[in-house]
Amino acid sequence: MKCPRCVQRIHRAAASCPHCGFTLADADARFGAEEVRIGRLTDSAGILRRGERERVTAALDRVTQRFPQVFVAIYTGALGEVSNLRQFGFWLLNRSAFEDVPVNLPNEAGILLTIDPESKAAGMVFGYLLDPFLEEADTFDCLSRAHAYWLEGLYADGIVRLLGHLEGILVKRSRQARRDPETFERKVLPPRQLGDLVRRIREGHRQGVDEEATVEVKK
Amino acid sequence: MRIFCWLLLGTLNALAYEEPLLPEWSPKEREQLESMGWVAGGLLLTNDPVPDEAEAQKEAPLAVEAPSAGEIADDATPSPEIAEKYLPAYFAERPTSFLIDPQGLLSAADYRDRLSFLTYHASDSAIDLYVYVIGGNQEIPGQVREEEMIERFFSEGRPAAIVFYYLGMPQRSEVYLSPSITDAISAAEQQRALASSVMQAFEKLNPAEQIESFLVQMSIRIYWMERMLGGAPAPSSDEVPIADRRLAMKRGSEHAKGESIAAIQAKAMKYAGPAGIGMGGFCIVVMVGYWLRRRALYRFPEFDVEPRLGGAHAAGVGAVISFASANLPPASQRDQVPDYLRRA
Repeated sequence: MKCPRCVQRIHRAAASCPHCGFTLADADARFGAEEVRIGRLTDSAGILRRGERERVTAALDRVTQRFPQVFVAIYTGALGEVSNLRQFGFWLLNRSAFEDVPVNLPNEAGILLTIDPESKAAGMVFGYLLDPFLEEADTFDCLSRAHAYWLEGLYADGIVRLLGHLEGILVKRSRQARRDPETFERKVLPPRQLGDLVRRIREGHRQGVDEEATVEVKK
Repeated sequence: MRIFCWLLLGTLNALAYEEPLLPEWSPKEREQLESMGWVAGGLLLTNDPVPDEAEAQKEAPLAVEAPSAGEIADDATPSPEIAEKYLPAYFAERPTSFLIDPQGLLSAADYRDRLSFLTYHASDSAIDLYVYVIGGNQEIPGQVREEEMIERFFSEGRPAAIVFYYLGMPQRSEVYLSPSITDAISAAEQQRALASSVMQAFEKLNPAEQIESFLVQMSIRIYWMERMLGGAPAPSSDEVPIADRRLAMKRGSEHAKGESIAAIQAKAMKYAGPAGIGMGGFCIVVMVGYWLRRRALYRFPEFDVEPRLGGAHAAGVGAVISFASANLPPASQRDQVPDYLRRA
């Protein structure tokens, strides 16, 4: 887990970045604190043609069909001077209301792909539901698959390729999680504190005393 | 129109064209030249017939002595007997193969082809054909008596024709029939079959081709022997239908070539069914598996995640990639750094 501004590692429940102090409020100050109503596929930059939009929408539908808890949204736009894709993606996924996403799918279940055709950069952000299952390297692999297409200006092809690879990663992680959910749960558990250790030791001792008392009563 | 006129003109010119006549000798000019001596090519310039060269050679035969009777006899005399070490393989027991060639006189390919033909003949005929291949100048040792051997080995089992074939000298070949059919088929008929086969063999020069022709013809004659066993009259060699001969020749050559292919095909056909079913089943399983996987639903366990950085829904920041230049491949962007560092 990294800070969207300084890209330094932060711990699991950091209220603000311990390195640069970044919070959502900083992003709000930059992009606005109001809720943004957008569609699942918002092509503000106009890089997709009609036929391509249909292809991309079909690919988005397929992801939701195979992973009923998850949806993918795409935003393309020229961010200009404020083109910090990490901060923008982080802000957009927290502040947007996706109009064509079922209400049972909150933004926690979303994966947002942001493409800035002006600065020729793209980034991915994902919600808390996928926090244990996706890593930065996974999103980098997905973006790498689309890189060659985007270099040629084939945005739709790149997106479809990216989504295909993302499906593969999600299938793999879903199976791993079904086999061994504890491994993924440990990734998101709050950090242990010293008091926890003392409490468990005391509880253990207390349990031991209770058991001895039970045995004596039985005798 | 102009082209048509040119064509018409050209055609008329061609029709009107006539070659000039060649000059001719007058008798006076000829006599004058001949009186001066021999004229080169003069023979071709007259109408006199050219003397026949063959007749000129006949007039002066070469003075070569004719071979003596002793020399001719020496040529026909077979030199050695079959080596003793090969005798058991030839004559110790009833042969297990239709082609007996322990000396390896035939090449491996020829042996295989002839054997496949004889095997085919056995499958197609009531009378088997066993062939003992012996060197053209070899002789069966005196202690081996062919009739007694055939009586001993071929009295039982399927009727058979046994041929002792001398490679390269088919005229020395001998044919015997197994006792069960000797009475039904006369010795004369046997000799006719042998003579017919030898004649066919002599149409070829190569010993390997000779034995092939010999066996094909013998197979045809055995067919007629079969008919004789059934009561039909024996045909002369001329009566053997040409179609049958051609068929047998064709079968002989083609079957030998196609035998290996047929064997492979037979094996392939044997396993084709199960293999096809297996492959089909495998394909179906793969397709069904693929279809099920495409339709499968994948779910994730939901864990409580404490919000970070004030974000109510998300704080999982993934990667950012630049596609501004082909000189900046994804591999060089793996180490994610803040944008302000990248821009600097």
